[in-house]
Amino acid sequence: MNLPFTNSFQSEWLKSRRSLSSWLVVVGGLFTPSIVIIARLVRREKLHEIYAAEGFWTLLWKNSWESMAIFFLPMGAVLATSLITQIEYKNNAWKQVHALPMSTATIFFSKFAVILLLLVQFLVLFNLGIYLSAVIPYLLVAGVPYPRAPIPFGSFLNEDGMFFIDCLPIVALQYLISLRFRNFLVPVGVGFVIWVGALAALSWRYNFLVPYTYCMVDFLKDSSGGKVAIPDINLHAIAIGYFLLFTVAGYWLFAAKKEKG
Amino acid sequence: MYCVETADLVHRYTNDESVLNGINLQVPEGCIYGFLGPNGAGKTTTLRLLLGLLRKQKGSISIFGKDFEAQRVDILRSVGSLVESPSLYEHLTATENLALLQKVYQCPKNNIHHVLGLVGLSNTGNKNSGRFSLGMKQRLGIAMALLHTPSLVFLDEPTNGLDPNGIIEIRELLRTLNRNNGITIIVSSHVLSEVEKVVTHLGIIAKGRLVFQGELEELKRRQLQVLSVSLCVSDIAKTLQIVSQLYPKAHSHGGRVILPAISGEAIAMINRSLIIQGVDVCEIEVVKNDLEKIFMNLVS
Repeated sequence: MNLPFTNSFQSEWLKSRRSLSSWLVVVGGLFTPSIVIIARLVRREKLHEIYAAEGFWTLLWKNSWESMAIFFLPMGAVLATSLITQIEYKNNAWKQVHALPMSTATIFFSKFAVILLLLVQFLVLFNLGIYLSAVIPYLLVAGVPYPRAPIPFGSFLNEDGMFFIDCLPIVALQYLISLRFRNFLVPVGVGFVIWVGALAALSWRYNFLVPYTYCMVDFLKDSSGGKVAIPDINLHAIAIGYFLLFTVAGYWLFAAKKEKG
Repeated sequence: MYCVETADLVHRYTNDESVLNGINLQVPEGCIYGFLGPNGAGKTTTLRLLLGLLRKQKGSISIFGKDFEAQRVDILRSVGSLVESPSLYEHLTATENLALLQKVYQCPKNNIHHVLGLVGLSNTGNKNSGRFSLGMKQRLGIAMALLHTPSLVFLDEPTNGLDPNGIIEIRELLRTLNRNNGITIIVSSHVLSEVEKVVTHLGIIAKGRLVFQGELEELKRRQLQVLSVSLCVSDIAKTLQIVSQLYPKAHSHGGRVILPAISGEAIAMINRSLIIQGVDVCEIEVVKNDLEKIFMNLVS
């Protein structure tokens, strides 16, 4: 592997330590599972029936992903990306970064890689949270059986991967914007507006043109009751296309900056 | 060979006015170079160009004899910098701030403790740098610039926020680094008295032009030049009458007679003739240049 990139990546990863973005990943990843745990403990009389069901894991997975796919994942990606670049602006540190012996590409892609790793961390924590939201009520409420159905690891991992791909255009576009603007409100505001636009566009037949819709459409495609237009094309391929386009544009704009830091 | 050399460096932020007008910087290797000028003279712009933080518009920059644009990454491996305020990650400790630079420079981990000791921040423990005082932040910024034992260090107003003791310590540190490690140091400042105690060479910039460049000694030689001779006498009118035959430019100012710069023998002769002609001489003051005055004349 490219050594300067690895060194720079390690340095960037250190910067994210105890930062707001790293806390956001932990809180965001575990938020929905915590709500599920609380809801189940409050309505404990129904637990026996729920845990005995054949489709226990699939139902839990669906319930957990509902808020995640519609809100937490897109907005988490918007916030985490903006917060990572904000570390440099807030600490007036871009000038330090650009005075280090690293190429512009190394600086751009190592930070980008950290954001993607945070996204993976977010999904891993969320998956762990889903598992804990099944196990904790079982351990705390007497008489609740351990779910009989096996965990469908393969399909869950596949869905994780697809949601990750769906998020990539959001991360790339947010990265592009947050590298251009010092004011934190600009990338977050733009991200929020596009997210609202994505919600509004769900029923539009060309909703796939809005790059923030993929997580939502992916989740709602089987259960929307016709409220969401399901495009007859490969959403993940378009997501990757947008991701590449935004990444190249972001890098070009970053490298072309006349004033660095 | 010069450690840093620029030729005809020009920079403008807008189309209206040039911030730098043909800067020809020549920083000898192993020196402490004071880069002086009033606020807005172009010091920071020059330093930012030398570090590649601004895109060069015209002219050339060479560091360690290499073209900066062509070999930027290679050159920056041996360069440390503190430009304007220190760039600290305030949610991290001093050690963590240095550790993330250590990863990039791939220098020995021991350097972290070494430089923290050098700037007197060894005992900051788990305190986040955001909770440091202004002086501590400045010290950490200097430590970050020195971490990888660079051959060239740019320090932009390094004593900002330091108390008098801190200023003396940092001055001593710069001298030691220069003497023991042969590090070339470029220190920018707008206060001459702040750098004259430590620098060996000076570059004075004003309105985007380099108005002086050379050894400090050269500037000090100018300091020894006599500017005028001021006499306190009992009769100004009579004195002027006597001395104006030899020195037509003699005049009175503030109750004293001012003569142009003259030799010691000439002063003695005038003193003698005044006494002979019944004028009491209370005081003869030889007015010499001082560094501050030279600096002010150069930049104004």
